[in-house]
Amino acid sequence: MTPANAETILSGNEAIARGALEAGVAFCASYPGTPSTEIATTLQKMSEEYGIYVEWSVNEKVALEAAAGASWAGIPALCSMKSLGLNVASDFLLNLNLSGTGKGGLVIVVCDDPRGHSSSNEQDSRFYAKAAQIPLLEPSTYQEAKDIVPFAFQLSQKHKVPVLIRSTTRLSHSRGLVSMGEDLKHIWTARPLPENLFNVPSPHLKHRDLLDKIERIRDVFDNSSWNTKPTSKDVDLLIISSGISRRYSEEAIHLLKVKNIEVVNLVTTYPLPRKVITKALKKTRRVLFSEEIDPFVEEEVRSLALELDEIPEFYGKKNGTVPAFGEMTTDVMLETIAKILKLKLTRREQFDSDILIPRPLTFCAGCTHRNFYWAVRKVRKRANDKLVVAGDIGCYSLGVFYDRAMTTMQAMGSGIGVASGLGQLERFGFDSKVIAVAGDSTFFHACIPGLINAKHKGANLTFVILDNETTAMTGFQTHPGAVHQEVNLKRVKIEEIVKAIEPDFYARSDANNIPELVDLLHSTISKDGLKVLLLDSVCRLEVARREPAVEGISYRINSDLCKGEKCLICVHDFACPAINWDKAVGHPEILDQLCVQCGACVAVCPYDAIKEERV
Amino acid sequence: MQDPFNILVAGVGGQGNLVCGRILAEAAIQSGLRPVVGDTFGASRRGGSVLTHLRIGTTDWGPLIPKGEVDILLGLEPLEALRAAAKFAGERTVAIVSQTKIPTVVSNNEPAEYPAIERIIESLNKLCKQVFILDAEETLTQIGSMKMLNSYILGAMGSVTQTPVSLEGIRESLESLFGSKSANIVAFDEGANVVP
Repeated sequence: MTPANAETILSGNEAIARGALEAGVAFCASYPGTPSTEIATTLQKMSEEYGIYVEWSVNEKVALEAAAGASWAGIPALCSMKSLGLNVASDFLLNLNLSGTGKGGLVIVVCDDPRGHSSSNEQDSRFYAKAAQIPLLEPSTYQEAKDIVPFAFQLSQKHKVPVLIRSTTRLSHSRGLVSMGEDLKHIWTARPLPENLFNVPSPHLKHRDLLDKIERIRDVFDNSSWNTKPTSKDVDLLIISSGISRRYSEEAIHLLKVKNIEVVNLVTTYPLPRKVITKALKKTRRVLFSEEIDPFVEEEVRSLALELDEIPEFYGKKNGTVPAFGEMTTDVMLETIAKILKLKLTRREQFDSDILIPRPLTFCAGCTHRNFYWAVRKVRKRANDKLVVAGDIGCYSLGVFYDRAMTTMQAMGSGIGVASGLGQLERFGFDSKVIAVAGDSTFFHACIPGLINAKHKGANLTFVILDNETTAMTGFQTHPGAVHQEVNLKRVKIEEIVKAIEPDFYARSDANNIPELVDLLHSTISKDGLKVLLLDSVCRLEVARREPAVEGISYRINSDLCKGEKCLICVHDFACPAINWDKAVGHPEILDQLCVQCGACVAVCPYDAIKEERV
Repeated sequence: MQDPFNILVAGVGGQGNLVCGRILAEAAIQSGLRPVVGDTFGASRRGGSVLTHLRIGTTDWGPLIPKGEVDILLGLEPLEALRAAAKFAGERTVAIVSQTKIPTVVSNNEPAEYPAIERIIESLNKLCKQVFILDAEETLTQIGSMKMLNSYILGAMGSVTQTPVSLEGIRESLESLFGSKSANIVAFDEGANVVP
């Protein structure tokens, strides 16, 4: 790794990992999720060199519990996750906050995804800091992303509280120069656990103690150098920013070339440093809030301002000056400042063109998830459209865009949960067949309780597990069911778990064989009771990572047999990216540079026009 | 130098957007400048649009280029180049665009026809100060494959317009990533000779 003081280019996530190394982290537990994954990935790469234990836990709740255990035993622990992961971990977090962490310290990093680039929702996870009454830190630069982590550990170690660091997509996934500190190799020895690691019999007194802690931490924040201050005494418009929004605010001011606007940036956003804010508010008449997703800092500041003699005018998400959804950008700040200062922006009109067709996300060429959804479409027709598919989170979530093959899609494990309810509704006249879908990593993460519930209550449903043996969506992290396990990890087979639950019907099949898949799915949904299908699936990206490409086979479309524009099943319905409609010649072609020679399209063509060729 | 100098790379997942950003950032550091690279790669493996925002300056800028502030637009794919130009191009924008299409797929049985390249170029010309269209298919197929398009377009960029980083600097960064014998270097040199 780079020596101290040298500048190196790091993403926000890599900077957080580097900061953890400099803080002497020794234990990291995480579950992969965009945009947080690279934090644990980076630490995993260093784990041997630095003697750090790093694991991809089965889910975020287990990760946080494991990290708390380490912290209690005196081992500095980091737990990173995406926004939705903190929902999963929050049950434990809202107990741990009262019990307190250990001498090792515990830092949680949550990466929010404004706009939901890679998420099923848009949520602001900072409210968990307020709900749990734990300190919240929001780095605004790559340098701060690194430097904040040792500070967070010191805070946690001293006050025995979990500390939450919040990043957002654009900080986590962009890169800039960071000046390195010392990465001392610590040797940690576990110590006996402290006493009273529970909140009973008087959780309210633990709550009282936590409130005291948070007031002491407020003092620390008020006296820290993390937050900036206004430089002049009479600022026309003061922008209070946090996180990456700081840069957007600064750049908007630069582009507008306006004077007497200042940015006060808050890194320690909860508990709000009241003295810092009170002083800043006294130097201005107008305040604009710049933060990502919800008006979190804005609400805290507005409530503090009620105690002031003079309340400045506030502009933000609460009064509609700033959009209260979507990403913050320099453009949003530019337009907002111009609106407040009544400046005219000379900007080009929106370019609108019918030729700008969308590029929808799709399954990769050769992905067997497409085969499964193809089968769902066929079976749905056979069932006269009386079929509901409760979906789940992973690459296969793209089923919602695939002829709407997936009906519902919410949280990790929700497919089987929703289906176990739908599977009880026959008594109310619900007459659709119910399918739940989950991937392998998701199965371990959150599907087992739902599956047991379905079995115990006799829900009438078919649970299909698309087992491609890797966490494909986030970059192939090992999970308990993976065939390729790292040393010291023991495989847990999905099949054995399913069999132990004893469904009324169980079958295992190959997702590469479309005709068989259609028949199996159709005959299975026709049965009564809890049915489970385990489909051996293939992630072509994972295969490409491990094995050389197959040579000597290619696929061709026979133009004599192909019905061209009259059919289009392979192009429009099956929609493999490796099959292209060639308008000039009037029939489809296989794009060799994209085709992975899976052969799935052969069975899709009703006219036998697609053939394998040996070169 | 325009500070920040903004380069936007537009393409489709798998085309090497991220590598383009990395090479240019490395070259900028070697020139004593401070790069900030913002990637949108949540969807990069699933065949979606990918954008890489590169800011080169003497100080750190935000990770997204504001609308209208693009100095150079590198289009690895024509439709994606137009999509990026529609949102971010302005009066300074010089676009360098490969004309090789990557077809879109159908979503929920709603087919949309990929536009004719002439119409894309026509729109790009309306949106940008200057547009260079590259026909790299034959050259790159000879060298190896279209996978080297990102290296090729970096070479072409250095030959058709001024940037804060030199052609030599970008080439060195490519060499340090791929090695001096790599086909990517051949592709880069071919791109650098493309001067229209």
